[in-house]
Amino acid sequence: MVVRQYQEEIKYLEKITETCWRIKKGFQPNMKVEGVFYVNNSLERLMFDELKNSCRPGAVGGFLPGMKQIANVAALPGIVWRSVGLPDVHSGYGFAIGNMAAFDMNDPKSIVSPGGVGFDINCGVRLLRTNLFEEDVLPVKEQLAQSMFDHIPVGVGSKGIIPMNARDLEEALEMGMDWSLREGYIWAEDKEHCEEYGRMLNADSSKVSTRAKKRGLPQLGTLGAGNHYAEIQVVDEIYDKWAACKMGIEEKGQICVMIHSGSRGFGHQVATDALVQMEKAMKRDNIETNDRQLACAHIKSQEGQDYLKAMAAAANFAWVNRSSMTFLSRQAFAKQFQQSPDDLDMHVIYDVSHNIAKIEEHMVEGKQKTLLVHRKGSTRAFPPHHPLIPVDYQLTGQPVLIGGTMGTCSYVLTGTEQAMKETFGSTCHGAGRALSRAKSRRNLDYTDVLEKLERQGISIRVASPKLVMEEAPESYKNVTDVVNTCHAAGISRKCIKLRPIAVIKG
Amino acid sequence: MSFYIQLFKKIQTVMHTFYVLDLDHTADVQLHAWGDTLEEAFEQCAVAMFGYMTDLERVQMTQLHHIEAEGHDLESLLFHFLDELLFMFSAEPFIVAKKVKITNFDRENFKISATALGEEFTIGKHTQNAEVKAITYSAMQILDRPESERPELFVIVDI
Repeated sequence: MVVRQYQEEIKYLEKITETCWRIKKGFQPNMKVEGVFYVNNSLERLMFDELKNSCRPGAVGGFLPGMKQIANVAALPGIVWRSVGLPDVHSGYGFAIGNMAAFDMNDPKSIVSPGGVGFDINCGVRLLRTNLFEEDVLPVKEQLAQSMFDHIPVGVGSKGIIPMNARDLEEALEMGMDWSLREGYIWAEDKEHCEEYGRMLNADSSKVSTRAKKRGLPQLGTLGAGNHYAEIQVVDEIYDKWAACKMGIEEKGQICVMIHSGSRGFGHQVATDALVQMEKAMKRDNIETNDRQLACAHIKSQEGQDYLKAMAAAANFAWVNRSSMTFLSRQAFAKQFQQSPDDLDMHVIYDVSHNIAKIEEHMVEGKQKTLLVHRKGSTRAFPPHHPLIPVDYQLTGQPVLIGGTMGTCSYVLTGTEQAMKETFGSTCHGAGRALSRAKSRRNLDYTDVLEKLERQGISIRVASPKLVMEEAPESYKNVTDVVNTCHAAGISRKCIKLRPIAVIKG
Repeated sequence: MSFYIQLFKKIQTVMHTFYVLDLDHTADVQLHAWGDTLEEAFEQCAVAMFGYMTDLERVQMTQLHHIEAEGHDLESLLFHFLDELLFMFSAEPFIVAKKVKITNFDRENFKISATALGEEFTIGKHTQNAEVKAITYSAMQILDRPESERPELFVIVDI
């Protein structure tokens, strides 16, 4: 890492619009393209404080500030256009979390990086609607929250309750949501409202280690821990009535269910295995990076191809996982209200992936190119009329689901043409951490956090209550700031705001 | 069998010499462990990891599980050692370990054989704390004598 004074560092940064900063070449060595990041005033302060802290004499820890990580990604071979930091960007493993980077598939030097996808492959958010309203749910809110908590396995060490054997898992890895459909856990329409229709076709389970499969099998259909959750939410605000109608959201007060989860231990093991392979490949192919954590391989190399196939299997795993929890949530609601999920109109509004790499066609400086787009902590946000979004959303643009954190609001946005130009159709993914877990534990008390939620009228069921302060809203960037920045920058449009009334967590 | 009984006794005398370090990083948690020997620091680091997942006071030592780990340098040995133990927890036999004893520590060839003592993780009996999802190389430090007075380790785990 280049060590410079803070005053020297900020010479490489330039504000280009109200909401966007440019990171010039030279900020980190070998930058092939420039970096940019999107912020508003309060997020800007967080970003610059982080940089300032790392410039303090004697700063240790081995973690680079988000800006430096964005710049290091800009130095990777084959990158095109820009390395983009979204408003929720924070320091991660190699890549920042909230980072989009695209690599030219036709450039032999281009790379694929597991760090650019993240450990939790195809971590994402799914939103279900219902035809219930707040007044229907409030009298039975506690029972419903308990029922959801009883249905969905949560927290460390929990095991899935959907019957599965090793052969089922192999099929699920290859088929994704087609497996869930065949086994009767989901409806055919669910697939339609899911990125890639819930199945990545290049998945190859033979490229996945036995170890990953063994870790994955017991965990399929479990929510997990950390920032993952299932929430019962109420429509709090509608900004775009027409687009909301297309999603089946008619008016304020309507009840939705949001599920935020990923590929569990399976995805983590796939990522870990790939990192080990790629370390070797980097030595062999002389790939140089600014940071050892940016392990990567040429897309066309054996390691690169194997990773993409294993990643696709992990993505399928995550879709089956969210589908299993969709099934369980529908069951919980059906039992509580003595009506079938169909009568409750519990359709999937959409399902987004915010840790994934995909091959997409984009315009780069006026030319169409095939790119491998890495989105880590970043959500795809395709505009109206894009061929890869479902018929129902052809006129509105793709729904983008932004999960808040425990007790804060969540948002539904829609994709824009502007995002296509500036960020290859990518936007933020959530709040993004502002405090470390350790700092949250020092500064907050878990009983206060739980009491505060109760005062807000939010029921909470959590497997590890003593860790709730790590996930408290105070630990995160303000999701409203993040979403407003995306809206102001034009990389997505606000559509619906949702407020939680019950949270189920690990 | 008497070997195991001896092992039990020996392990039970090992003191807790680890803690979860307050590291000001936004995404993960750093484990810090130390001991009289590097071997002991490795053992304590493993216990620190399990201690972050559940309250170890509630864990009884009724089951044994052997693991083997191999690396190409000390860092990768530590990585694979912890990864093996994490795997033992997250797949069959789902054991959460209260003590870990390294039975063979080969520093020439970077190999470890170890025995973990604990029991199958059971929701209801054991508390659910954080879920360690992966071990990372990020900012990993292994300080051994002579450069450090007591051997110590720093490992960041992804949670």
